[in-house]
Amino acid sequence: MNITLKRLVCLGCGFSYDEALGLPEHGIPPGTRWTDLPEDWVCPDCGTPKSQFEMVVIGYAEGGSPLAQNA
Amino acid sequence: MTQSFVLRANDRGHTVVRSEGSSAAYVAGHTPSNFVSRESSFNFHEYQSGRPGFGAIRVFGDETFHGAGCGYNMHAHHNFVICAFVLEGELTHINTAGRGTVDQLQQGDYYVFSAGSGGKHCELSIGPEDMHAIYLWLMPNKLYLPPTYHRAHFDIRTRRNRIVQLVGDGDGALPVPQDLRVSRLITDRPGAYTYTPRSAEYGTYLFVKEGQVRCGDVALGPRDSLGINGVDKIECDVADTTDVFFVETVMFDEARINAWEQEHGDHD
Ligand SMILES: [Fe+2]
Ligand SMILES: [Zn+2]
Repeated sequence: MNITLKRLVCLGCGFSYDEALGLPEHGIPPGTRWTDLPEDWVCPDCGTPKSQFEMVVIGYAEGGSPLAQNA
Repeated sequence: MTQSFVLRANDRGHTVVRSEGSSAAYVAGHTPSNFVSRESSFNFHEYQSGRPGFGAIRVFGDETFHGAGCGYNMHAHHNFVICAFVLEGELTHINTAGRGTVDQLQQGDYYVFSAGSGGKHCELSIGPEDMHAIYLWLMPNKLYLPPTYHRAHFDIRTRRNRIVQLVGDGDGALPVPQDLRVSRLITDRPGAYTYTPRSAEYGTYLFVKEGQVRCGDVALGPRDSLGINGVDKIECDVADTTDVFFVETVMFDEARINAWEQEHGDHD
C-alpha cells in the first residue's frame, strides 16, 4: 500500500520534519509517523511545541532533501 | 467566491519580551529597559488565539526594539522567508547567507532573507533610539533552497502618491521564492487608488500602518487590516498622510491539499 508520508514545518523557526526522512541523529528512524512522535516532543532547533507545526505540501529544492536529512 | 476579513488594531496579538531570565538568551540587551514589543496580525509564538495566516503569509507584525543594544541574538532558521521594512531607527542585521552579511538599515530600507537550507540571523538596534520595523514571514515555494539575502531602499519622500512594488517579480522589486508581491503606498494628499492582483485567485492583505483607508464600506484606521480574495481589484479611498502595505499572495486552498492527500493514497 502506498501511504503518503507527510512533511511538517515548525512555525517558530521553519525547521521541517519529514516522515520519510525521520531524524536519525535524534533517534527517530526514517518512516516515523508524525502521530507516533511523543506529544511532548519539541522542535530540536527552537523548542516550539508539536502543536505549532503545520503540514505543508511544498517540494524540495534540487539537492534539498539530503540537506533536510542532515539539518 | 469573495472571502474577506477585517482585523482591528486591538484584535492583534500583543507581546512583550524582556531581556531577562529565560528569554535573555533570545532577546539581546542587558538591562530591564531592553525589551521587544510585538504586535502580531497572525498566530505567532505565545499568541495563538488569532488567525493562522493568510496564503503564504505566516507572520505579519510590527516590532519595536527598546533600549540600546536590544534585538534578537543570533539564531537559526530554515525555509522561512523573512522580510523586514524599517519604519524608524536603525536596524543592524547580520546573517549567514552565502559568505555572510552585516547590514545597517534605516527608515525606508528593507530586506528579504530566505533562510532555506539553514541561515542564521541576528537583529539589533545598537543605538539608544527605538527601532521600529514590520516583519513579514512567508512560506517558500520550495524547501531547503540555498539561503539568500537581498536589500533595497524605498524613498518615502520621492515615491509618494502611487502604489510602488517592493518585493516580488516586478521591475526593481526584490526577488522572493514565492508567488507573492509586497507593495507600499504613502500619500501626502487624499486620493482614490486601485490595487490589482494578478488574478482573483490571489489574496491581498492590506495593512494600514498610518492614516485612513476606506475600501467599499470598510473604514480602516492605523494598524487595522483587511484580507480579501476572490476579487479582480481592490478600490480604496486613501486619506492624506497615509502609509499602506499590500501583500498579494498565492492562496493554498484546503480542497487542493485534501485532493493531493487522496491522490497520494493517504488514509490516516
Ligand atoms: Fe529569527
Ligand atoms: Zn523550530
